[in-house]
Amino acid sequence: MATERIELKTFGRGGVHPSTHKRDTALLAVEAISPLPPEVWLPLVQHLGEPAVPLVKKGDRVVRGQKIADGGATGAPLHATISGKVKPIDKRPHPTLVSVDSIIIARDGEEEQEFPEDPGWRSLAREEMLGRIREAGIVGLGGAAFPTYRKLTLPPGARVDTFILNGAECEPYLTSDHRLMLEEPGAIVEGALAMARLLGVKRVLVGIEADKMPAVEALRTAARDVPLGEQTFEAVPCEVRYPQGAERQLVTALTGRVIPPRSLPSAVGVLVQNVATAQAVHHAIRYRRPLLDRIVTVSGPGVLQPKNLRVPIGTLLQALVDACGGMRPDTTRLIAGGPMMGRALPRLDLPVIKGMNGLLLLTGRGPMEDGFGPCIQCGRCLDSCPLGLEPDQVSIRVEAGRVLDTDPYGPLDCYECGCCTYVCPSGRPLLQFMQVAKSALRRAIEVKVKV
Amino acid sequence: MSDETATATGAGRSEPTFVIEPGPHVHSSETTSKIMWTVNAALAPAALWGVVVFGWPALAVLAGSIAGALGSEWATNRLLKSRTSLRDGSAFCTGLLLAMTLPPLLPAWAAFLGGIFAIVFAKAIFGGLGYNLFNPALVGRAFLMATFPLAMTSGWFSAAPWFGGVDAMTTATPLGALRERGIEAAMGVMGGPGSPTVNLLIGLRPGSIGEVSVLLLLAGGVFLLARRIISPTIPLAVVAGVVLTTGASGHLGLHLLSGGLWLGALFMATDYVTSPSTRNGQIVFGLLIGALTGVIRLYGGYPEGICYAILIANTMVPALNLWFRPRRPVFAGAPS
Repeated sequence: MATERIELKTFGRGGVHPSTHKRDTALLAVEAISPLPPEVWLPLVQHLGEPAVPLVKKGDRVVRGQKIADGGATGAPLHATISGKVKPIDKRPHPTLVSVDSIIIARDGEEEQEFPEDPGWRSLAREEMLGRIREAGIVGLGGAAFPTYRKLTLPPGARVDTFILNGAECEPYLTSDHRLMLEEPGAIVEGALAMARLLGVKRVLVGIEADKMPAVEALRTAARDVPLGEQTFEAVPCEVRYPQGAERQLVTALTGRVIPPRSLPSAVGVLVQNVATAQAVHHAIRYRRPLLDRIVTVSGPGVLQPKNLRVPIGTLLQALVDACGGMRPDTTRLIAGGPMMGRALPRLDLPVIKGMNGLLLLTGRGPMEDGFGPCIQCGRCLDSCPLGLEPDQVSIRVEAGRVLDTDPYGPLDCYECGCCTYVCPSGRPLLQFMQVAKSALRRAIEVKVKV
Repeated sequence: MSDETATATGAGRSEPTFVIEPGPHVHSSETTSKIMWTVNAALAPAALWGVVVFGWPALAVLAGSIAGALGSEWATNRLLKSRTSLRDGSAFCTGLLLAMTLPPLLPAWAAFLGGIFAIVFAKAIFGGLGYNLFNPALVGRAFLMATFPLAMTSGWFSAAPWFGGVDAMTTATPLGALRERGIEAAMGVMGGPGSPTVNLLIGLRPGSIGEVSVLLLLAGGVFLLARRIISPTIPLAVVAGVVLTTGASGHLGLHLLSGGLWLGALFMATDYVTSPSTRNGQIVFGLLIGALTGVIRLYGGYPEGICYAILIANTMVPALNLWFRPRRPVFAGAPS
């Protein structure tokens, strides 16, 4: 039998191949967290944009699905993710912002608001679709958590001809998008087509790393059962190579287009959304169902039973760990998201926020804990940078106190994928040197503009 | 940012707290000291072969040079109050490489001085590992050429006198003999029972301790290539440069198989710190070394010459890094 050789799409230069560790959870179906959390914390700030404005007060009884905070002009609304009593609105620890005013709900029931199907959902006007996406409180679920209705509102003059669905999931350990593509491919395809329709785009592409071929098949099969009309839908396997799922890299892999530095994909006629966002959008358009839950991959060597959990937003991380059989005593590090771009968290009494796609419990000493050595000019960071930037030169200049001389080496263009730090044999925190240089250069530019 | 989060852990709670670090939270398994010790391991067979064919004097030179390098690394660490760097393998590598470029009859204490000079004046003075402009081992060798000219140019003796029962005697290197007395003489200085080519490949000929066995050096180089510690760019460019300059001399084979070409091309020109970081820079750098080697051998004052070729090319590295920078992806929009 002749074996078929699949041509995998990928981006140009750079990238790394960390161990994927996906086998721990890739075959585990998503399970709803059990027992339901006794309490959720819903921070009024979940993402970029204005803080949400509470619509409930202490002592109110709320039902799962009910809107409890308004999004304001640039944010997204919040909904009760469990049914129960509102406790005093108070500052609570937040995974990315030290502490934030949060609506706290203590559960006392399991009922949920009903979200009946709208029979006319396939032929909604553009404004109506956007309105439903906004009212559902949907933000980018791949991690960045930018309000989706804003991303779908193109800047004036921008023209988009290709809609890309991001199912690359290039971060090690994470399989939440993988499982969603296997378990709800129809909703993902419908959501993507709807967003493309909303933008007037006919061509829809999905980029998926080739270690998830069953997901590619699932989406292809699902697309056959959907009335496409004038639209096209294509699931494209991509090389397993970090950061394949970065917008910039995925756009190049799928279309050959290269986004100019510091620009959005719309500069080359593309808009990118994550697969989990597409699923949520489908539910918003078809049922007016708000974003209440998300899938979180709980994995890493410190977890006793790694799982893909569907959890109400606002559930405390401790409940996730408990649902996974607890953690090993030698767990040293807690990461929200993937190990490459994720963020270290200090504690387990923090809520799941909308953009949190993974929770990793790692053991052992972290790569930065033992200090770092001098640059030996091996050039590995140069070869690993997908943008062709020069982290070595930036780091040497920052060390020498010449931060403002780093501009030619590109820190302003850096989107912080972390490949440079990952490969550095001297263990230098190159990404942090890039960040230091970037913020100093930005400040210098601001000052110049004002003067 | 992470510090702010760390302070938010709040007092009075009994939650476990975790280590807060900037990402990425995973790292490739490569470290500087692993790289250095791998290079040392790749050099070891060729160095030990030098001891086999030249005997105890070669071992004494190796020991002297490595002791000088390690001792001065330790002393400069102490003096400059810097983190101890003995275990990273770089000073050992300098001592080993230096010894491999030295003639077996050089007094061990001269090799010891060479090791000290290499570390103190080519490495520590510049700020230690990563900051030096010149290859420290070759600076050590150049120092010994200036201070022990006689021993450095006549300290050779026939390889493996135990082959064929010839008494150990001082002799010239193949390229030295070629220069003085022509190709017949060059072929005549080989020590083994095989044809001259076989003797050159195996390393049965007079020469520096670590340069003689082309096969073992190639094996070490292939090992480093397979481990992705070096890339083939620089070695290939060096060889191309030698071919371009000596190709018409009629003795290309001898030029390619002797005179420390492979030790230099595979292990010295590829030193990260003293070679360019981008591929195009590396091509120019390698060609320059190869061409200078050829020119020195044909027209210059030394029969060999890769040592000075590399040192001269080292001076170009900052400029090459400036001229040949990584290429950034070029903006490509939607087809209209």
